[in-house]
Amino acid sequence: MKITIRLTLLAAAAVRGFWLWTVFFPSPEKVVLQKIARLAATATFSADDSSLIRAGKAGNLVGFFADDAQIILDAPGQAARTLSGRDEIQTAALGGFASLPQLKVQFLDVTVRIGADRQTAEATCTAKVNAGDSKDFGVQEMRFQFRKTGSDWLITRAETVKTLS
Amino acid sequence: MFVYSQLSGNLRFNTLVPNANEPTTQPHWFQTMLIGRRPRATLVRILALVVVCFVTFEFVLLPIRIDGISMQPTYHTGQIDLINRLAYIRHEPQRGDIVSVRLAGTSVMFMKRIIGLPGETVEFHHGHAYINGQLLNEPYVKFACQWEHAPIVCDATQFYVVGDNRSMAFDLHTHGRAERERIVGKLFL
Repeated sequence: MKITIRLTLLAAAAVRGFWLWTVFFPSPEKVVLQKIARLAATATFSADDSSLIRAGKAGNLVGFFADDAQIILDAPGQAARTLSGRDEIQTAALGGFASLPQLKVQFLDVTVRIGADRQTAEATCTAKVNAGDSKDFGVQEMRFQFRKTGSDWLITRAETVKTLS
Repeated sequence: MFVYSQLSGNLRFNTLVPNANEPTTQPHWFQTMLIGRRPRATLVRILALVVVCFVTFEFVLLPIRIDGISMQPTYHTGQIDLINRLAYIRHEPQRGDIVSVRLAGTSVMFMKRIIGLPGETVEFHHGHAYINGQLLNEPYVKFACQWEHAPIVCDATQFYVVGDNRSMAFDLHTHGRAERERIVGKLFL
């Protein structure tokens, strides 16, 4: 009986140790997933948020992108647009955050693939965006490319994917 | 005979007659109501039900809630429906089928009607759809429109999908060629 209890405790300790290991040293896939979740949270703001908070969020949003990052937007019903570099992204983010009453961004069905060099990653997801007071929302398939810079993963390219051609 | 074969099969009935000399230990009526007279059998039933529901609603029938106006008047916002994921196991999607087209996953999908099959040319002229130059009869389209679009050829793996609500502006209506692998299934109802 004692041996059984000891073995059970040992197994529980091993499981807990493994869990702690994954918490403190997450896999690249998990890091990228967390990054995408934080990106959605940063891009989301409510009508109650002040201009200062919105400007702060727009500034934080730029921090997710590499210096040479590109955002390529080509959604149905809207003019195609390309943003190159952090400055353009920040300008567009500030403009968008100031003009929209509120914005809710969710990234659903995120799939992450880590490159063979372990320094790049690609993520595909469905962006669900709700802007304004209505319950209407837009959906758009997106593809993100990440590059490991130091210990951080930064977005080098974000582009819309045409689900229907 | 039928009853006999059932009784001699897997079905078991509680046919024990209580002995008058033995004290009866009847479970509390609330316990009986909650978990039945045979808790182990109830647990097995619950587990079986959970497994059946999981398999059915994960791999066979995908429950969906419709949102948007692109399929009006056939479908309205708020309607609940099911996607039959096994609909195209034996045959390919057909013209007129209402299908769901996945984006990155199945959390959010487009629900559209197939009007063009692989290899066909689809065009819109004065609001009417033409397949290989022939006018397509679409009784489900109730709202008139003036859509104009040059011919588009579907590849061998593509289906042309569009909503029933053609009163929307052409650019605002999501439609086009969907790859076969993106078609998740056919609407059940």
